This record gives sequence, C-alpha cells and structure tokens, in this order.
Amino acid sequence: MSQIPAADRLRRLLSLLPWVASHRGPTVEEVCDRFGLEPDELLSDVALVSMVGVPPYSPGDLFEVVVEEGRVWVHLSPSFDRALRLTPEEALALVAAGASLLAVPGADPGGPLARGLAKLAATLGIDPDDAFDIDLGHASAGVLATIQQATDEHRRLRLAYYTHGRDQHTEREVDPYRVHAEQGRWYLVGFDHLRDDVRLFRVDRILSAEALDASFQPPDELPSPELFEAGIDDPRVVLDLAPEAAWVVESYAVDEVETRADGRLRVTLPVSGRPWLERVLLQLGPRATVVRTRSDPALAHCGEEAAARLLARYESP
Amino acid sequence: MASTAKLERLLNLTAALLETVRPLTADEIGGRIYGYPEDKTAFRRAFERDKDALREMGIPLVLSEVPGSDPPQQGYRIPKDQYYLRDPGLDPDELAALQLAASAVRLEGVEGTAGLWKLGGVPAASSGDAPAPTSTLTAIPVDERMVKLFAAVADRSPVTFAYRGEQRTVDPYRLDFSRGRWYVTGYDHARSDERIFRLDRVDGDVEAGAARSFEPPEVAIPGARAEPWQLGEGEPVRAQVLIAPAQAEIAVGIVGSAAVTEERPDGSIVVELPVTNPDGFRALVLGFLDHAEVLGPIELRDDLVEWLRAIASSVEPSPDAEAGSEPGSERGPRP
Repeated sequence: MSQIPAADRLRRLLSLLPWVASHRGPTVEEVCDRFGLEPDELLSDVALVSMVGVPPYSPGDLFEVVVEEGRVWVHLSPSFDRALRLTPEEALALVAAGASLLAVPGADPGGPLARGLAKLAATLGIDPDDAFDIDLGHASAGVLATIQQATDEHRRLRLAYYTHGRDQHTEREVDPYRVHAEQGRWYLVGFDHLRDDVRLFRVDRILSAEALDASFQPPDELPSPELFEAGIDDPRVVLDLAPEAAWVVESYAVDEVETRADGRLRVTLPVSGRPWLERVLLQLGPRATVVRTRSDPALAHCGEEAAARLLARYESP
Repeated sequence: MASTAKLERLLNLTAALLETVRPLTADEIGGRIYGYPEDKTAFRRAFERDKDALREMGIPLVLSEVPGSDPPQQGYRIPKDQYYLRDPGLDPDELAALQLAASAVRLEGVEGTAGLWKLGGVPAASSGDAPAPTSTLTAIPVDERMVKLFAAVADRSPVTFAYRGEQRTVDPYRLDFSRGRWYVTGYDHARSDERIFRLDRVDGDVEAGAARSFEPPEVAIPGARAEPWQLGEGEPVRAQVLIAPAQAEIAVGIVGSAAVTEERPDGSIVVELPVTNPDGFRALVLGFLDHAEVLGPIELRDDLVEWLRAIASSVEPSPDAEAGSEPGSERGPRP
C-alpha cells in the first residue's frame, strides 16, 4: 500500500481532481505524468475519492471518479472543481524561480516565462517589475548563451579570458561541464586544456567565447573545483590582519590562520600572481602587514612598490 | 492503510466544510462526517490532528459563531473565496516555462512542486522552445522569514522585526535578491522614510500585521543597492573613474553599462558612480591596479592619493571610520 503520508496525497489529489474535471477524460498516463504518480497510486486514489462526498452521503452526494478504457473522468465534485490557493511558500517558490530564469542575461522579456510570471504575479498581488527583483550577476548575454549551448551539446569552447590574479589576457580551450550562478556571479566549470585540469571560470571575465567543432564526453560525476585551488608550488605570503580585515579568511584559500595575542590574525596565503597580491595589499592598506614571503623574496615589498607606481600617475603633472 | 483512511476522512472533512451553508460545530463534524471514531476523546484527538494537517496545507479553516445558536456556539467552515485559486489562466507554454524555471532554480528551504500541481501539473512534454538545462542553474536561499515578507508585500501588511538592536515596523514595498542576499525595501515607520534592510541582518522572526494596511508608492522605488561603493548612508558623491581599454569591458561588467559617461577614441572609458562608501569605492578602483584612475571629485582623488602614500611609505594612517565593510571582497576563482 502507499507509503506516502495522507497530507501529501491530499495535496496532490486536490490539484489533480480539478484538472481532470476540466479536461475531457485525460488518459491515465497523462494524469500520472503531470502529477508525478504511478498508475496504481492513481487507481487507488480514484477508488478512494469514489467513497467521498458530503453528508449525508446518499448516493447522489458521493463524488464520481471513474477510470474507463484508460481514461479518467470526474463528475459531481463541485467542491473540488477548482484548485486550492497557492500558499505564500508555493507562490514565492514559483515567482522566485521564474524571476531567476528571467534574470539570466539574454532571457526573452516577452517570452512564455515572462508572460506566465506576469499572470501569476498579478493573481498574487505582486508587481513583478516593481516589487520583486532577482539579480544573478552580470554576464554578456552572447557569451552566456554560447557557453550554455556548448555545455548542453558537449562542445569544446575557445575562450578569451582575463586572469585576474595575473592581470593577463589568455586564450584557452575549455570543455564546458557546467554553468551556474552563485553569490551574484556566473561561473563556468570545465576542463582547461591550457592548464590540463578542471578549473572554475568567472563568466564576467570571459571576453569572448566560440564553440568549436570538437566534442567531448563529460565525466559522470561533475567535479566541483574550489574557487581557487592553490598550486603547491605557488609562493606563499604571511600577513598579519587587523580584525576588520578578517573577511580575507573567508574569501581566499588560506593555508593557515592563527590568532595573535594582540587580536590580529596571522594568515598564510598562496599567491597566484604578483598582481593578485598587489590588489590585496592595496585594498587592505593599513589593515594588513606583510610578515614574510616564501619562495619569492621579490614579493616582500610588492604593496609599497605598487602604491608608488600608482601614485606616480596621480602625482605627474 | 492508515494513510488511506486518514486521506478519505480529510477529503470528507474538506468537502463538508466547503459546502456547508453555516459553520459546523465540532460535535456536528464528529457526528456527521464519515470516518471519525465514535469515542469522543478519540474523535477530539483525530479532529485536532486533521485541523493541523489542513492548515499546514494552506486550507483556510475559519472558526466563527454559528448564527442563531443559543447559547452561542463556535463552528468551522472553509470560505470558498479564501480556498480557491485565483486561476492565472496560464497558457500551456507559460506553464511549461514556469515548470522549467522551477527545475532550473533550486530554492533552498521551500518546496514549489505542490504549487505547480495547483496550476495544472507538470505537462509531460514540457520541452517548449527552450532546451532543458542540464543541471541547476542556481540555488536561492529562502527561509520562513522570506516567505512571510513575500506574503506581506503581496498582502500589503506592515512587518515588524529587530534590526541592528532596534525594533522596526516597515511597510514592505519590494524584495530584491542581489549578490547572494535578500533585501527588503520599505517605509520605516519610526524614521518616516524609505529604508533598505538586509534580510540576513534581521534578528529573529518577522511578524506581519493586518493586510491592506498601506498602498505602495505610485512611483516605483529603486531596488536594493548591493555594490560595495554604495553601502553607506547619506547623499552620494558622484565619482568619475577613467578605465584603460584593456579593462573597459570588465569594468562595464562590474558597474553596469548605464554608468559609462564617455567612450574615448583609444578605447578607454569614463564611468560615473554614486559613492556613499569611500572604503568600498577605493577597493573597487584599486582592484583595477594600473588600469583605473579617479578623475574626480577632488576629495575622492585626494583620499586615494593619501591612502597610496601611506602604503608606499609604510606609515600607518588612521583607518577609516567605515572599517569593517568588505571592500572588494573577492570570492572569484583565479584559474
């Protein structure tokens, strides 16, 4: 017998009945597909509803749901001829999902999703333009569409990519595994032929993308690379951070963290490139002090040097 | 079998309370509705559980006085106007598109499938024109408070919550999801002004007041600002920044194309930003290293120069008052 709790079956039945009632004898298969249940579950629910009605339960008060020649018919069920109102939770889930997909750069503002969302929102009393907005992050619509399609079709991409840590522009070929948005940014996970490894790319740093003819077989299990996988050989920097710079620990791949007696944090970070460390030190300013560097002594004063270099621009006449 | 018997009873109860012309007392429900035990205590227990089950599903169970009863008695009914869905009249392609959206976007903490059923179920051939995404495009965190705020925006109910150690009462006008966070914008009663609140900074629960208590503003209000250079209070200062050609495209990605005020022949651009948080602004500009220059106003240019001088000479300047924000918090990968 069905193991599904009564409340869940009720929830489904109260949606299924009105739909069947308003369609002329849909097939068992169609009803099962729509409402996600097995034919034997549908038949047992139908048998049950035929016993249900309103007091005093004389034959004329009972609902009539029958299955004939593989089709389902509902008669005499005025109570359940319309679906139940959406709960706020269900409404939010649908509106948020719809608004999210519409926020994907390149989405059609006049397409079926936009129209459906507007109709749904109107019945809820929510203005989808002025009262609700989801921003998943910036991406060029063209780039996003190209990499999404290549991901679906398992085709290799050629990317012009800006490597932030090294302040470099590179061309690389990537087998795209997955495209997703997280924390306001779009990412691409793929096999990077330049580095011969799976990498995570920020879509807003892909300046152009072109699908190539070469195809590939994606792995069965999608890898989920960390935002930054530090190379073992990357140089390391040891910084002392003021408490208000503690966000660094959350934001970067940190090897070690240690709280000092004075409340400052001593962290060891891999340095993917000199420009990366320059940015960190320039942005942190007095909140960070370089304690020492490992395997690249030239980095020890890179903050001061970068500051002096930028200053020259502001101080030149 | 227990599940089936309970389902049958719940269906009978729902049908009877929808169709009744006057509220039914608990005794009447026990005596008339098929499926309840005869024993009074057992009935009470079963009825309490059923009421909970229906309410949990969002079925409006209303308790009111039975007209003409003497002494007055309380009875139950389900008002049809509160029970039935206002049918949005979705076309099949629209329903399919919403279904696709629900499968592409994972809402962490709420369940949307039951909502799709109510709208007519998931069409079997939901292919449509758009290709089905291979996996979840994004996940959006939602909690019980967000559900309440959503309902409050729809119902126009004021909400009360604790925020930065203070109790606030707000008419919620709009909800925005930006950079992984929810924001609510609304009219703050105590401040008699519009304010933006970050949901993750709301302390504890959100309580909603009576529905239809306010009218949203006639002119649409802008959504929440989540940019680091805008996370301050007060009048914004308009800053101009010159970006070198190599970074122009990336800069537009960060600040938006609407901020571009000039495109120079060499490919460089000038962007104008409303700055309320100098700390966040400085972090933005320094993130571009040699590729950006603050053109004006002079006080922001001087602020940056002073900051750079302090670093260049390694003499510690006094940290800003706004310390603690997350300038340029860089969660990006660096492949």
